[in-house]
Parts: sequence; C-alpha cells; structure tokens
Amino acid sequence: MKKIILFLFFIGSISAFSQEKFTLSGTISEVSSGETLFGVNVIIPSLQTGTVTNQYGYYSITLPKGNYEIIYSSIGFATQKIEVALLENVKNDLELTTDTESLDEVVIEADAEKLNIRNAQMSVNTLSSSTIKKIPVVLGEVDVIKAITMLPGVTSAGEGASGFNVRGGAADQNLIMLDEATLYNSSHLFGFFSVFNPDAIKDLTLYKGGIPARYGGRISSVLDIYQKDGNKREYHATGGIGLVASRLLLEGPIKKDTASFLVGGRSSYAHLFLPLFDNDNVAYFYDLNTKLSYNLNDNNRLYLSGYFGRDVFEISDSFSNSFGNTTLNLRWNHLYSDKLFSNLSLIYSDYYFGLALNFVGFDFDSGIQNLNLKYDFTHFLSNNIDLRYGVNSIYYKFNPGDVNPTSEDSGINPFKLTDKYAWENAAYLDADIEVSDKITVQAGLRLSTFNRLGQDELYLYENDNPIFYNQELDIYQKVNPIDTISFDRSETIKSFANLEPRLAISYLLNDDSSIKASYNRMTQYVHLISNTTSPTPFDIYAPSGKYIEPQLADQVAMGYFRNFKNYSLEVETFYKEVKNRLDYVDDADLIANDALEQILLKGEARAYGLEVLLRKNKGKFQGWIAYTLSKSEQRTPGRTPTESGINNGDWYNSAWDKTHDLSITGQYEYSKKWSFGANFIFQTGRPTTYPEAQYEYNGAIIPVYEARNSSRLSPFHRMDLSATWTPKPESTKRWKGEWVFSIYNAYNQKNAASISFRENTDIGQNEAVRLSIFGIIPSITYNFKF
Amino acid sequence: MKKLFLIVIFFGIFTSCEDVIEVELNEAPPRLVVEASINVRSDGSASSNIKLTTTAPFFNNNISFVSDAIVTITDENNMVYTFEYQDEGIYSAFFIPQENIDYTLSITYKDEIYTATEQLYNVVPLEYIEQRNDGGFTGEDIELKAFFTDPLGEGDYYFFEAFSARGDHLDIYDDVFFDGNAIFGLYLAEDLAAGDEVSFRLYGVNEQFYNFMYILLQQGEGGGGPFETQPATVRGNIVNKTNPSNYPLGYFRISEVSTLNYTVQ
Repeated sequence: MKKIILFLFFIGSISAFSQEKFTLSGTISEVSSGETLFGVNVIIPSLQTGTVTNQYGYYSITLPKGNYEIIYSSIGFATQKIEVALLENVKNDLELTTDTESLDEVVIEADAEKLNIRNAQMSVNTLSSSTIKKIPVVLGEVDVIKAITMLPGVTSAGEGASGFNVRGGAADQNLIMLDEATLYNSSHLFGFFSVFNPDAIKDLTLYKGGIPARYGGRISSVLDIYQKDGNKREYHATGGIGLVASRLLLEGPIKKDTASFLVGGRSSYAHLFLPLFDNDNVAYFYDLNTKLSYNLNDNNRLYLSGYFGRDVFEISDSFSNSFGNTTLNLRWNHLYSDKLFSNLSLIYSDYYFGLALNFVGFDFDSGIQNLNLKYDFTHFLSNNIDLRYGVNSIYYKFNPGDVNPTSEDSGINPFKLTDKYAWENAAYLDADIEVSDKITVQAGLRLSTFNRLGQDELYLYENDNPIFYNQELDIYQKVNPIDTISFDRSETIKSFANLEPRLAISYLLNDDSSIKASYNRMTQYVHLISNTTSPTPFDIYAPSGKYIEPQLADQVAMGYFRNFKNYSLEVETFYKEVKNRLDYVDDADLIANDALEQILLKGEARAYGLEVLLRKNKGKFQGWIAYTLSKSEQRTPGRTPTESGINNGDWYNSAWDKTHDLSITGQYEYSKKWSFGANFIFQTGRPTTYPEAQYEYNGAIIPVYEARNSSRLSPFHRMDLSATWTPKPESTKRWKGEWVFSIYNAYNQKNAASISFRENTDIGQNEAVRLSIFGIIPSITYNFKF
Repeated sequence: MKKLFLIVIFFGIFTSCEDVIEVELNEAPPRLVVEASINVRSDGSASSNIKLTTTAPFFNNNISFVSDAIVTITDENNMVYTFEYQDEGIYSAFFIPQENIDYTLSITYKDEIYTATEQLYNVVPLEYIEQRNDGGFTGEDIELKAFFTDPLGEGDYYFFEAFSARGDHLDIYDDVFFDGNAIFGLYLAEDLAAGDEVSFRLYGVNEQFYNFMYILLQQGEGGGGPFETQPATVRGNIVNKTNPSNYPLGYFRISEVSTLNYTVQ
C-alpha cells in the first residue's frame, strides 16, 4: 500500500510540474452557519469541465494558467460567479447563501437534488435533511429510514419491521454509517422509528449499486449519513414537541468561525406505550447526538462526534430489557497540499443488547464492539482525474451472550457463550477519470482481508462436519463436537482475502441525458444471525471463520438518466447474485446458541429488477414518483445430491420480495403560511407461508405448512397527508415556530402486517387472523428554532 | 421467552388491531399421523396407547381416525406386542417397556409400512409445588412452580405438562442452563383461583424429541409476524419404509412420567 501511495504522489507531482498548470482549491460552506457543503458543483464553462466538493466541503481543480470564470452552484443555493486569475495556486473559500433568502416570492428550491448525469456514479440517491422532514410520517416523527424506503429499489419487510432492504438484499447487508461509524441497529421500538435524530443530520447518500471502492464490508448497499458540524457563527436551538417524542438540539460557536459544538437529544415519553397494564411498565427510547468541530488552521480540522441511543422496556419488576448503539469518532482532516486532501478517523462503535428476566432469575447480555482506523485520501490529480485511496483496519469483539443468575436462589447456572474476535483490513484505490467530453469512468479496486482470531473454545467435528443430514427422516440434525481447541488471541484460526473490483461508466448522450453502466463485487465478513422475517434486536452478529464463509455479491446495473426543465428521470435495471448466503434449518433455535454451525447451511441469493424515479426538483410543487419491478429469492440446495437442502433445495421468495412497489410523495408550497404534503404507497403483499393441512398431536392442533414463502399477503396500500402551518412567516423575531398536522393512513386501510392462524376454542374451528399495525393516525407536532 | 416478550411489545403498542378474515388455502393430500406416546409410571404400570389419524384440510375440524392399520411393537429380543384397535383411532396393548432395550414400532397402513425405534427415558420426580399470588407479568396472577432436581451431568431433556380447567401448558426443558440444580416448570393461567385442581406431569425424553416438540410448540402458537421464524412442517422420528416421500407426522416416544396433583390454595 505504501508503495502505491508513493507512486501516486510521484505521478501527481509530475503532472503538476511538467506543464504550466495551477490549482484552485478551497472549502465551501453555508453563510449563516458555516456548515460545510457536500456536492457543490464547481464549473469552468470555458473548458467545459468542473468538480464537486467532497463530504467535508473541500474541492480542488488543476487548470492551465489563465483567467477563468468559475461558477459555484448547488441547487437550493444562490449561484455565484467569480473571476479568477490563475497565475499561481489559488485558494478560494466561499460561502453560499440559500436561494430563498435572496428571492422575494416563495420559491422553495432548498431541497432540490439535481441529477448529476455526467458523473459515472449511478444507483445513488441523496436526500437532504429538509427533504426528509417534508415527507408525512406516522405520529409526526420524522424518519430517515422511512424516507429512504420511498425511493426505488428500497423496501422494508412491513410496518413495524426493523431495517430496510435494498435491491432484494437482506437488512444486514446494508452498511449504515453515521459520521463514518457503523451502526448495527437502525431502529427504535422494533422498527417503528429510526435511530436518527432528523435535526442532527446534514444529509445522507444511499448507494444501491456501482458502490465505490472506498466502501466495503456489506454487500447490498451503503447508507452514508453525516451529522451537522454545528453552527460556527451563532447560537441556535432547534426542536420539536410531538405526540411520541420531543427533541432539542443546541449548536453554536465555541470560538467564532473556528470551533463549534452540537448537542442534540431526543426522547420518547416513558409509560406511553404499554397502557395494557396499570402498574409500573415502562417503554421508551432516547438518543443523544454530539459533535465538536475545530478548525486548527487552513490545513487542519478536527471533528469529534458521538452517538448514544437506547431502547428501554420494563414490565413491572419481572422483566427489563435495553439495547442500542454507541459510537465515538475522532477525525482529522489534513491538506497535504491543495491537491491532496486526507482524513484520518478513529472510530469506536458498539451495539449492546441486555435482558433481565427476574421472574426466571437470570440476565443476559450480548453485543458487538469494534474499533476502526481509517485513513482516506482524495487526490485531485488533474482537471480530469481524481483519485481516492486509503486503508482501513477494523478490530471486532463479538459477545454472543453471557447468562448470569440474578439472585442467590436462582436455579440458573452462569453461562458464557465464547467471545469471538476478528480483524478486518482493506486497502482501496478509486479513480474518477473524464476520458473524453462524453465518457467518464470510475474504476476501483478494493482488497479486503479478514482474520478470525483466536478464541477460548472452538468446537471440532468429525470430518469438519457440524451438521448431519438424516436421509431417512429427511431432516438436518446437530452433530456433537468431538473436541474443542483454544487459541491465543493473536493466532489466526482462519483467514480470507478478496479482491473486489468496481467499475462505473457514463456516456453523455447530450447536455441533458446520459447512459451509465456499473459492476461491483462486494464482500461481507460479518453476518447477522437471524431466521425471522425481519431482524430483531435479539439477533447477534457472527464473524466468518472455520464454519462460516464470507458472503460475496456481484451486481451489474445499467441506467438512463435525464434532466429536463424542473424534472429528472432515472431508469435503472440491475441483476445481483449473492454467494454463501446463510440459511437456517427449519425452526432452528438461535438464542444463546454457542454452536451456530450445527444449524446453518450456506445457500445463494439473487435479485433483479427495474427502477424508475421521476423527480420534480424545483417550484412550488416538488416530489417524486418511484416505481420498482423486482424479484428477490434465495435457495439452499443440499451439500450432496442425496441431501434435500432447505425448502427441498428449491428457490423461494425472500421475505421482502415485492413484485411491484410504487411510492409517490409530493409537497406543495401553497403560501408562506401553509404547505401541504402527501404520500401514496402501493406494494405487492409480502410473501408468507400458509398451512395446507392440520392434525392433532398431544391435544394440540398442529398445522402442516406449504413450501416456504409460497403465498402472499394481500397488497399493501396507504395514503398519508400533512399540512404545515407557519403562523408568522415574516416575523423577524428570533423564535420561529411551525405546526405540522399529519394523518397517516388517511383512508384507514387495514393492511395486513401478518396473517396468523389459530384455533378458536369457542367454536372449535381454525381461523385466520389479520394483524394490522396502523389504522388512521392523526398527529400534531410543533417545531421551533431560535 | 423471546416470543412472549415480542408478543407483549408488538401487540401492546399503538393502534394495532386484529380481525378474523377469510383466506383461501391450498390443500395437501392426507398423511398418516402417529401419536405413539408410551408412558411408564413410577409404580411400574404403563399407559400403552397409540393413536392413528390422518391430516385434514386446515379449516375442516373433523378428525379422520384410522381404524384399519396393523400396529405392533417389537423389542430387540424379537418379542412382539400387538396393539388392538379400540375406538377413536386408539390402539392398545399390555406393554411395559424396560430400560436399555430397543423397541421398534411398526404400522402397516394402506399397504405401506411405517417404522421407528426408541428406548425408555427416565425422569426425576416432581417434588413440590410453590404458589405465588403476585406472579405473572401483571404481578396479580397466581403462579405455580413445580420443582424438580436435575441430575448432575448435561444431556437431560424434559417434557412438561400442566392441566387444569383454566387451560393447559406444555413446555420442554434442556438442562444446559440448570445442570444439577433444583429447577421448576412454570404454570400460569388467567383466572386461576383457590380450589382449582392442577395436575403436573414431567416426562423424560431425548434430544430429538426435545427438538421436535420445540418446533411444535412454536407453531402451535400461531405465527406469520415479522419476528416469526419461517414455519415448516415438523418431521418426527417415524419413517415410511415403502414410500419415503409419503412421510408420516407425529412421534414415537417411550418416557418415564412423574405426576403431581395440586389444589390451588
């Protein structure tokens, strides 16, 4: 790696000195807060070239000596034109003002995210915090995850189900990062709300395909979320009071224009959710976002950011449960030169799940911790080549479970599932090359390695086979280990290495349209162990090792992209194959299981589809129509021809396979006082498994099931409405408030979250029971800023 | 435990509602169902009944009894016990199984032969019942704990039953978490009141039956929600030797049973 970096420096220097060229660089930020801006276009019309700012607002472009007109534009901000005499290297930091402040009439453009047709990157969606805030949501709680499920190619397993699924991938195949720290659980209350405080978020980018080489470790998507840095000019507070939760965020300068802080908290109201019983039951969640930013000087910046979130449930004194993420991240931005931007991050991230069952007499703790060191470089080599390269090292500790008795007279013995350790390393190089006026290529390569490190007790099996196929009974059975071995922590039990090529190409058809194609290979070394329809907070992560191989995904995608007037159109198709997808033998018990290899088999998954996104980005009316036609399925054949595999080795629909998925969302700015929003969603029903017969055993009615996921729930559809009232839009007072009125599921559709079957003991007859989670839900939220 | 917890959380919040709807289901051809549970009491007597039925369409609650099968159990010394048809699908014989002997069940039905081989599994006695009147999630229900002492050494599996007019409870235990300790089977029923008679039974079983019953108990509770596992038909330990794909359902087990009756105070 060191050699590659040196080589790049070398060719970088040659190209800089061999011609009369100079570099224009700087940081672009928003004028009132000093918040840096990502994705600002820097255009040089005379050369028909340009660049964009990176996640830290930095840009750099190298041009032949001369005088230039430079245009800085980002939709939602007033475009600025400046003249630059590039007779030497020029540093130009710039502040942009929002469009709305410079226009008399209300034309909301602040949220428009214009399609970048020239860039080779495809299958990407960007949403700003203000767009997310305008989408009507259940109980008025603005929700990042719900917002992205409105995009094409993104679904969830249903209302009240946690996680999300991208292009037919499983929920654990999404890399979710908050300020670069990995989050292992993205929802509160089992999926009713997401863990992101909308006020603390600057923007998010979702990569569904053509994933750049700088990302790795998950195979389906990358959700890259950045927190705000905190206002460097003035003290401000933002907050809201809703029916479910309230939030407050404070930000301001510690030292004007140099250092800032941000601290935000959100909490639901305790005692709200379990009105079933009248005693001491508690269910609530809270989270805390913090960030400190410090500009040491022109070339160095430091950021310290943290997140802490918990869900807490207590049922009288017999039961208590809490779980959540913790992240802490220290980053150092450094400019080695005006062409070489670097970021060094040290990130700690942790997921904890704890349970105390006092009525049985034990508690249970589990979790995953990791420490991640990243060094990333953006090298603006010339006006048509940008390089990104870097290294990444992650150390993991997995605690699959620790059972302890809670009282002297408890009949439960202390029990510790063996901790597991692993070390994941990666190095990557990504080149963004403007090959010609029409063709842009983004080519990258990532080398990832994974070392499963020593642990106390590793089970050994005869012929290394932990799972036995009983051909006579056609069932898989656990095999008892013949021995255990212990390793030193520094020893490697098993190692893996994978080369992950990434390629994306765009071809400009004309000024407004392009076609793009991409390929990516992704590797995932940690696996969420879950055999439920959607993940639960109980689920633990397990590392690859002797008995579990890393998941590998290959995806190809092609698309057509077009901007016209105030609209943009994206049409994409994709095909994805996943190898080594874990599957579980029927009804395997995963709780506190120290020998997962005894109930696991490896299979494969595939998904393909067509996505259409028509988006209106400007004007009083804004919004999008997203439609996805897709298929997502999985199979686990037997390991030998005599074995049946899982589900008879046949392909079956994944639990989140939705053939048709239509999402329409729109916002209308009626006046300065009133604006309105609406959603409409239609989806094919979720696959499910119904009984096809019944029998009686030991006095109970037992269903006989059909092949896995071969039926479907009825289609899901719903409309949501919202209205926002700003009582005094012209007020010059510091305090600004708005009321948001919303109606979720406006026509009270009883959508089935599940259909279950039970015996009605009164009539001695089986019956089908539909569970609908949300009926019509009106709500009101007050948001304020000062 | 996990399920109980999830059900509480999942159903307890918001405006979720349940209603009974019509669903059209596929229909599978009938299969043989075997309930061969041979129980040996501590006094040495045994209940040796084998019940044969067939599967029925899911919304049809008429059980079809099988009355024309030939049912035998043969021990490893080739001693044959023939089970005679009584009524309602039940076949019985005078059969008292002994320890450490293989017993093979054989059923001939519609020209196909079904077999399974098992041994007797012992159990420790149920010792006493502890009653608490502030039990359950609400802290207001009567809770009964039936105690027993697990013998030292892992690998003991239990099948537990509790019956009363207020409802039945079935459970299974694996001693991995309580090896060698005094532990209990829990019985909770709504409206349980003083004077109610509750009977408890504890059976010795093996790991295979434990796994079978584990799945069965999960599926008996309904399912289909987002936190449910993928349901699948449960296979027991009986094989169709003539036509393996026409596999039977149910199980052949031989257990020692310990019983204890209790009147709620």
